[in-house]
Amino acid sequence: MDIFLSRLFSGMTAGSIYVLIALALVVVFRSSSTINFAQGEFALFTTYVAWWLTERGLNIWVAIPPIIILGFVMGALAERFLIRPVRKRDETAILIVALGLFTGLNGLDGWIWGSDEKVFPAMFPSGEDDYVSVLGARLHYDSILVWVFAAAVVIGLTVLFKRTSLGLEMRAVATNPESASLCGIKVGRILTISWGLSAAIGSLAGVMLVPTIPPGQLNLSSMFQVLIFASAAALLGGLDSVKGAVVGGMVMGIGLAMINGYATFIGGSFSLTFALILIVVVLVVRPTGLYGTRRLERV
Amino acid sequence: MLEPRTEPAQAPARNAKRGPRVIRRGSRPHTAMLGVGAVLALLVILWGGQLDPFNQGQLTRVAIFAIAIAGLNIATGYIGLLSVGHSAFFGLGAYTTGVLVVKYEWDPLMTIPVALVVCLVVGLLVGLPALRIRGLYLAMVTLAFGVAFPEIVAHFDDLTGGAEGMTIRRQQLRPPEWSGFTLGERSQWVYWLCVVVLLIVMWVVHNMVRGRYGMAMIAVRENEIAAASSGINIAVMKTTAFGVSGAVTGVGGSLFAMYIGSLFAEGSFTLLAGITLLIGLVIGGEATRSGPLVGALAVVFVPYYAGELGQGQIAAVLFAVVLIFVIFVAPAGIVGGIAKAVRKVVVVTPRIPRKSEGTQQS
Repeated sequence: MDIFLSRLFSGMTAGSIYVLIALALVVVFRSSSTINFAQGEFALFTTYVAWWLTERGLNIWVAIPPIIILGFVMGALAERFLIRPVRKRDETAILIVALGLFTGLNGLDGWIWGSDEKVFPAMFPSGEDDYVSVLGARLHYDSILVWVFAAAVVIGLTVLFKRTSLGLEMRAVATNPESASLCGIKVGRILTISWGLSAAIGSLAGVMLVPTIPPGQLNLSSMFQVLIFASAAALLGGLDSVKGAVVGGMVMGIGLAMINGYATFIGGSFSLTFALILIVVVLVVRPTGLYGTRRLERV
Repeated sequence: MLEPRTEPAQAPARNAKRGPRVIRRGSRPHTAMLGVGAVLALLVILWGGQLDPFNQGQLTRVAIFAIAIAGLNIATGYIGLLSVGHSAFFGLGAYTTGVLVVKYEWDPLMTIPVALVVCLVVGLLVGLPALRIRGLYLAMVTLAFGVAFPEIVAHFDDLTGGAEGMTIRRQQLRPPEWSGFTLGERSQWVYWLCVVVLLIVMWVVHNMVRGRYGMAMIAVRENEIAAASSGINIAVMKTTAFGVSGAVTGVGGSLFAMYIGSLFAEGSFTLLAGITLLIGLVIGGEATRSGPLVGALAVVFVPYYAGELGQGQIAAVLFAVVLIFVIFVAPAGIVGGIAKAVRKVVVVTPRIPRKSEGTQQS
């Protein structure tokens, strides 16, 4: 039982991170119908900045607000100056710009900070003894922290979408940019804000991700796997649904923890392949995911 | 975008001053231009044949990447199935060769057709989801495929050597007797082999895209519904295109295994390699026949010269800048951009049809 619980806890912690990145993907997809492949690399960049700030003696908690703002600015600038000029052209052009950002940011991180692994400070005491015991399983403080943050972001986004006029405008743009524009909504501004918001969520996820997900150190490929898992999660839940991102992220996190824990006969870790198969199955069987809205296409 | 007619490589300088001018395909000036181009290409190939091993190796890499990118071009350029994870096909081809040579002591040359078939089959399978999903979502599938590949290689470690990689012994890559190259001249042998395969691939792609099949591919890319209503079987087109695309890239991978001699899935065949292929294609020019070659030059030499400036990371930044610049300035890539510029100076029109003969290859 205690082994099961500790696997459940670690799955939920990883799941919370996937939820956050999946939410970042959802926020962009809702407004502009694209998957931002560079999402993970935005987060990686701000995480490196956070690391750099803590190296300068700043407490990690103090470093978080500035990097969230930095994330927002990066996302907004990328949308305004790189994505928007090509968005009228076609989907491929947007994807390729995103891939450019992907490699460019990754290279930039390596250029500025080097490709060696960085020890990232934990936000909460996460030593061997810092846990509460739940039915014999260890529940570490930093896990709880990640859950709380993820829950806060989910609630915040739900309130934003459902209760504020900005959220209403974002939903209007997502549903139909032309009509939204005719209603006097500044579509471009909404898109820029969405991208900024998405990158800001990613920044928060990045800071919490490094200490909680193995190998526990910051390096240039920290985000590749996470992005794949989060994309699989977002697809599973439906790319335009906040609820879907939460369910998908948790299913991914807990599912992977259970598979790696119990299905040892598969041998070694096969988690990326699992994600690949999940993505293909979801796309072929139910392209809108669990909670996504069906999109009609007119000829 | 759709410009399979002009020959971008040669014309501009000579006619630059006279202004736009029409050249008929098959006429004497046109044949002369093609001839000059062919002679220039031959000279470059011969020049490469006598270079020192290092620079020759660079050219071999260019040829290998040109083959791989030409494969990607079929799926992504001509039919519009964006694939981010073609590195997996590249790796699959390389590992097919590696495993057959190391474990079963095959002749390296004989492994090329096997790599082709293996990648064709896997390409057809991976292409199957393309029937129901496209654009973004298909890119997602290929992305996951590219990321998962090194993991799969690591899983079958008794066959592939896993994370430690796989080394093909030098003896096993001995050039065949009939080629006349000794073991010491292996780099020369690989160079000529890659050049010949590249020429074959370019010839095949040329014929493919100029024929019915190529027209059908472009029709699918431009408008699926319109293409379907003109009687094109979209399902067959998409899956076969993806299969052929994977197969050609796999051949590139197979040659890469012979060239490099040691395979590390974590190093050579990661997602970044797949993105590199895509970057090469976009920079060179999607849906152009010589784009992959230009892209391969960029893919090989940009990191090399950027490496002299500082750490290897600069290459990635430089690529990104070039990529975004190309997307903004010349959406059709370098070759597409040149072709467009050349068309202002000289235009090649189809020959006047005589009697009722079919269109001939020039």
